[in-house]
Amino acid sequence: MTGRATEGGKTDHLPGLESRLFDIPEDKFIEVVRLLERVRDHPDVRQTFAAIRPRLVQVRPNRRPTLKRVLCMPFEDVLESFSGVDVPLGRIERRVIDPVWRLVTECGDTALIDQLDRQAQETAPGNLNALRNIGRRLWPMAAKAIRGAVEQDSGRQALRRVLHGDDEMQRQVLDVAAFLEIGLTVESLKDALAPKPLPALDDRHVDAIEQAAQAVARQSSGLVYYLLLVAASRMENPADLLTVVNDLDFGKARREQPVIFAQLSGLVVTNLEERSARLDGHGYSAGPDRAAVAVAPEEAVAIAERLVASVDTTSAVMDFLADPVYRGRLDAVKVAVRTMVAGTVLDTASAGILTAVPAPAGSGRPIPVNEDAQEAAEDHARALRRCEGLAEALGLQEPLKDAMASMEKGLLARAHALLAQYPKAADPEDAETAEINLFYALRLLELVAGPAKADQFRTAIMAATGEFAEEE
Amino acid sequence: MLKGAIEYAPSTFEERGAAVAFTTPLLSQTRVRRGERSKLEVLIPSLSQGMGIYVVAWKAVPDMVSMTMHDRYLHDLIVKEEACSPHEIRRATLRAARRGLAGPKAAQAARLALDEDEEQGTLTHYLLILSILKAVGLESPEMLKAGIDTDEGQRLTRQLMTRAAESLRMDATLLYARLADIAAVTAPVGLAHSPRPGRLTRGLNGLKDFRDSMTGWARDVPSDAAPVAEFCAEVAQHTIAIGDKVLGDFHRRLDAIGPLMRDWDDAFIRVRTQAARMAWLLDGWSHITGAWEVAQAEDHQQQAAAINDLFRILPLLPRREATRDFVEDSKQVKQAHRRSVRMLEDWRTGQMDIDAIRRIETVKARAP
Repeated sequence: MTGRATEGGKTDHLPGLESRLFDIPEDKFIEVVRLLERVRDHPDVRQTFAAIRPRLVQVRPNRRPTLKRVLCMPFEDVLESFSGVDVPLGRIERRVIDPVWRLVTECGDTALIDQLDRQAQETAPGNLNALRNIGRRLWPMAAKAIRGAVEQDSGRQALRRVLHGDDEMQRQVLDVAAFLEIGLTVESLKDALAPKPLPALDDRHVDAIEQAAQAVARQSSGLVYYLLLVAASRMENPADLLTVVNDLDFGKARREQPVIFAQLSGLVVTNLEERSARLDGHGYSAGPDRAAVAVAPEEAVAIAERLVASVDTTSAVMDFLADPVYRGRLDAVKVAVRTMVAGTVLDTASAGILTAVPAPAGSGRPIPVNEDAQEAAEDHARALRRCEGLAEALGLQEPLKDAMASMEKGLLARAHALLAQYPKAADPEDAETAEINLFYALRLLELVAGPAKADQFRTAIMAATGEFAEEE
Repeated sequence: MLKGAIEYAPSTFEERGAAVAFTTPLLSQTRVRRGERSKLEVLIPSLSQGMGIYVVAWKAVPDMVSMTMHDRYLHDLIVKEEACSPHEIRRATLRAARRGLAGPKAAQAARLALDEDEEQGTLTHYLLILSILKAVGLESPEMLKAGIDTDEGQRLTRQLMTRAAESLRMDATLLYARLADIAAVTAPVGLAHSPRPGRLTRGLNGLKDFRDSMTGWARDVPSDAAPVAEFCAEVAQHTIAIGDKVLGDFHRRLDAIGPLMRDWDDAFIRVRTQAARMAWLLDGWSHITGAWEVAQAEDHQQQAAAINDLFRILPLLPRREATRDFVEDSKQVKQAHRRSVRMLEDWRTGQMDIDAIRRIETVKARAP
């Protein structure tokens, strides 16, 4: 378990284990995670956890409870994600967790922390009620400790030592304190807004948000905003929350409602900008310092659909603010999305779709069927069709029309070349291969040009094969 | 061409028709049957989310509905083969899918299913030979050791079967012909002692899992679709109860293989009828259980939509087959169901709903 320096200067931790942890079956993975958790404070193990985090996110094993993990529960929904284009609203960076923990342990009630720490260690993984009971005593104490460190002279020294004068970090630490103050309400709201992500808000969800907002407003009207951030982060399209916020009764925070709405809508726009900034012509990157990841055409369209829906909702709700700055910022988001869709779906259509239809071989024998290539081409063709729903919003009508026409023309040319070759397939096995190639080309044509146009080619295939000759 | 919406309360399986695994969303799992003057006709449920069923002449379907290329091919194949029993429809469906017309994954699944059918046929044939030899006291360890697929094994088998025919007082050729007939009828169901259950027995087991899953969903998920899920579970349970009984009788008859071979005329018809009844009972369910398996990866809202989709195509038992009038009971559920059903967009706009087609093709790749 010791690290060793490699030639490149990087340290190779737990040699080989990290990569293997991506391949082993899920139950084994969970077993290994449990074992590693027993020695999680070892630096090598921490590195290993960082490396396998993508799979941890995917598998979500019930992790061994720790007090630090209980501390994070009220703001876990707004923690930055590890990858992908979706960024939670008002996100808290993961680098903030350790400083927050240090502030709490240095400035908080040590006896209580020790007592709760023992309780956490004795709690079975997945026992949410027990963890919340621990949180019930931990969160208010932790919030008080953080605020004390920021606001009182006695805590300033600890604050400087922990945050090194990082203002952005200090802002996020104060946000964490706000989430901790409303920890219990947040936890019950999470139950009402489950499972995450919610595709749409129904009356039950809206009632739960309203009741939670009123409960939080009784504590302090300034905390309602933080509660709404949690609600938004549990939704597939966080901008949808804006459509209901003005109809909610915030109880004691009623007078602050316009301010909260403005705060929230400003954040939605910033969030959209942040998400679109991760896009480029070929995919998205997980952060400003990371390289772009190639994205499949269907995924690109799905990302674009979510972003366009968010932009449209936000524009519609904010129209009455009549603020041209917002308008310009939202338009810029759309431009980024447009570039991404054009780069990953339209410009690559020829390579992604047409090449799946094989050119006839000089030997006259049919080319073996490549089902993986066909699968990928069909996915690309579907993505192209789904762009129809986005074209108007993104101003892509003409490029899309051109791409579709070019695909139709290209597919027809290739399909007819295959058909011309068909009679040369003499033995039954060759004939079957040639026919499957023809039918796969037919499917692509159907996806791109629609059934009416594809049917003409189908009739031509049936005439050539003579399969239903007596009915034709 | 279109007879208008009619009240749908079939008395027999034949009147209910056999489900066709079309990929056009509007036509998915519509039923084909032999109508007046033996012409094929198709029954399309609730075109506009209404209560009735439309009866359409089979040949007229392509003129009425924009069909996928897969469905046009399958439609032509069914016309050509005059297919309308579950077995014939299944063979036609697998043939269409094997051509790649429902996508590469469905093509692979169809090829696998056809291979499995063939293997199951061979296995059943072999097990029946062993049963016949055992029935006449001619069990041969040498033959088992040699294996039926070797020359030596086949020679031993022929020898023993000739002796078995003598013992059964029939001509060996006749014994072989009857063996072939009974194997063809039995393979889809499978023998009780078969190491791998037949396709229909697996289907019945899958239906039991589906029933349990639906009951659990209705209990655990607060949703408008909960009563629909409960109804699906009840229909499944009723089908299972009949299926278990038919399967038990079927296996009992095949266990007495000696008498079956001797009293051939009556006994074979009974076995064949029971096998056909199993096929009719489970007809349409493989798509439903497959679709529900696919929906397991989705959230509750999507699962609720899937349940409502499945309700529309639920294989309700015909009146003569069940002690309960499910058609009547379904109307009560339908009142609630109509509020949350997914729209059949392609029919209204004339556009193909590529996402809905893909969902159907995914099920086809899982349950061909």
